[in-house]
Amino acid sequence: MTTADISYPTGFWENTRRSFAATLRRDGFGFIALIVLALLILGPLYSVILWAFAERWTYPSLIPQQFGFKFWGMTLERADIAAALPFSIVLSLVVTFISACICLPAAYAFARLRFRGRQMFLLSFLATNAFPRFGLYISIAVIFFRLSLIGTVPGVILIQLVNTLLLMIWIPTAAFQGVDRSLEEAALDVGATPLRVFIQITLPLVMPALSAALLLTFVNTFYEAQGALIVGLPRIVTMPVLMYSLINSQLVVQYGAIVALILWLPSLLLLAAANRLLRGGYLTAGFGV
Amino acid sequence: MTTSDVSQSQPRSWRSSFLPYLMVAPPLLLMVLLIFLPAIQSVIRTLTIDVEGQPGFSISRYLAFFNDPISVSNLLFTFQITFLVIVAIFIVCFPLALYLRFADGKIASAVQILALFPLFVPGIILCYALIRFLGTRGTLESILGVFGFTGYHTPYLKPEAIVFGLVWESIPFTVLVLTAGLRQVSNELIECARDVGANNWQIFVRIILPLIKRPVLIVFSLTFLGIFGAYTVPYLLGPASPQMMGVFMQQTFGGYRRPDDAETQAVITFIICSLVGFLYVRTVVSQRATQEDAT
Repeated sequence: MTTADISYPTGFWENTRRSFAATLRRDGFGFIALIVLALLILGPLYSVILWAFAERWTYPSLIPQQFGFKFWGMTLERADIAAALPFSIVLSLVVTFISACICLPAAYAFARLRFRGRQMFLLSFLATNAFPRFGLYISIAVIFFRLSLIGTVPGVILIQLVNTLLLMIWIPTAAFQGVDRSLEEAALDVGATPLRVFIQITLPLVMPALSAALLLTFVNTFYEAQGALIVGLPRIVTMPVLMYSLINSQLVVQYGAIVALILWLPSLLLLAAANRLLRGGYLTAGFGV
Repeated sequence: MTTSDVSQSQPRSWRSSFLPYLMVAPPLLLMVLLIFLPAIQSVIRTLTIDVEGQPGFSISRYLAFFNDPISVSNLLFTFQITFLVIVAIFIVCFPLALYLRFADGKIASAVQILALFPLFVPGIILCYALIRFLGTRGTLESILGVFGFTGYHTPYLKPEAIVFGLVWESIPFTVLVLTAGLRQVSNELIECARDVGANNWQIFVRIILPLIKRPVLIVFSLTFLGIFGAYTVPYLLGPASPQMMGVFMQQTFGGYRRPDDAETQAVITFIICSLVGFLYVRTVVSQRATQEDAT
């Protein structure tokens, strides 16, 4: 700074301007990317969150003129929402449980047992990603139609299970493969039974990966809307499916915003575990990479 | 495999040779019954029953599809959106991934958090949010108004909104895969190239691009498949006409109750996507093979 006698406010702004200019010179791209991303990624969420707590919000104000919880009571009293929310949670839990029951033994076999075609079978689960999703759902729905599975809970469970397979097999397979066999052999040598070795040594070592797989499966299933829409309607309405109709027949903006916020809660579970999921490479595991 | 495994498995060979298959059978069976079987059955049914419902080999369903101007325009529209989204994704995500690979500091970590954030926003919530954000008299128009910008035209219910929504959803996955690929390019390699006088562009085209061919192919193929199989974003944000294939199929199946026609449309997307699906599987398989060799 050249002039020492600048009063505080001018100096403050001058400093701010300078450090801003320095940042821009040092990391101009990052700075611009940050602003653009903040606007386009947080902007839409800003709208939803404020709408959920707005009682009056007219254009062109940037924030609602009146905040309040009036619409929360009205939204939660709606019969369709009160029915769909618990149903969606139970359904996702059931799908995750069934998926774990059929996939985890398979993952163990893929990781530990030697058999002909092992690698090919393991890789074949990539097929779950290699089809255009919605076309596949139509094909499945045509078959379900003849089996009278349309509009039934088993039909929705089956179609949602398909999406869980790759994740629930690949993550645990890699985890079981990663366990150091010498630990288990040492325990067996000192006389532990195979079951005890599995429970006390193998399981704790694979637990982080297993819980990541279970969490991702639960959240993905909770938000699965397209399969549930095509196979479940008209009788089965999950929360995401209900959201379609709330968006399309939006007389009251706040309903959609509040349901969106409630619907978002399971994602916050993921967000809480985000760091671990990211470091474990689990966030892209559902795509086979 | 260790020698002790072999000696243990010898005496009970019947059990140990069947047990693995028994364990992997349930998910495999589920996949065959719910993916391969429906797909194959759709192909066969659409080829063996003609438009009038008479049995016998016939491509009349497909001729009907390609003779119908609405069907054809929907298919072309899907191609257009696919092309635009893929181009946009690479334009947006390549600079971001390069930046995140080579930069550090507070701004870089903030950019990374923002770029990954869409992972935690499910599609249906995104659509609702984008309607409120991009729509007429929405938040974006208000924000632009603060800076004195008037004359905003909303992309909502136009193809641009579909592109915006699909790109928004794809940013985290693309950035993650591309940055992971870029981490395989060592700093030394780039230093060497710089020492012999290569400029940034040459480094990018000659060194970085060839080394991250696989991540690029994975992003390309999964984005392609994702857009052809997309429903939520095009249905909620896009125009009523032309429609993308997912919306078109749902309307034919659920709205008009013409499952046979919907099935024909589905098979057409299968055929178009088969090459890309194959490319995806092959790329992932070769990537895994390389990784296993490395370890």
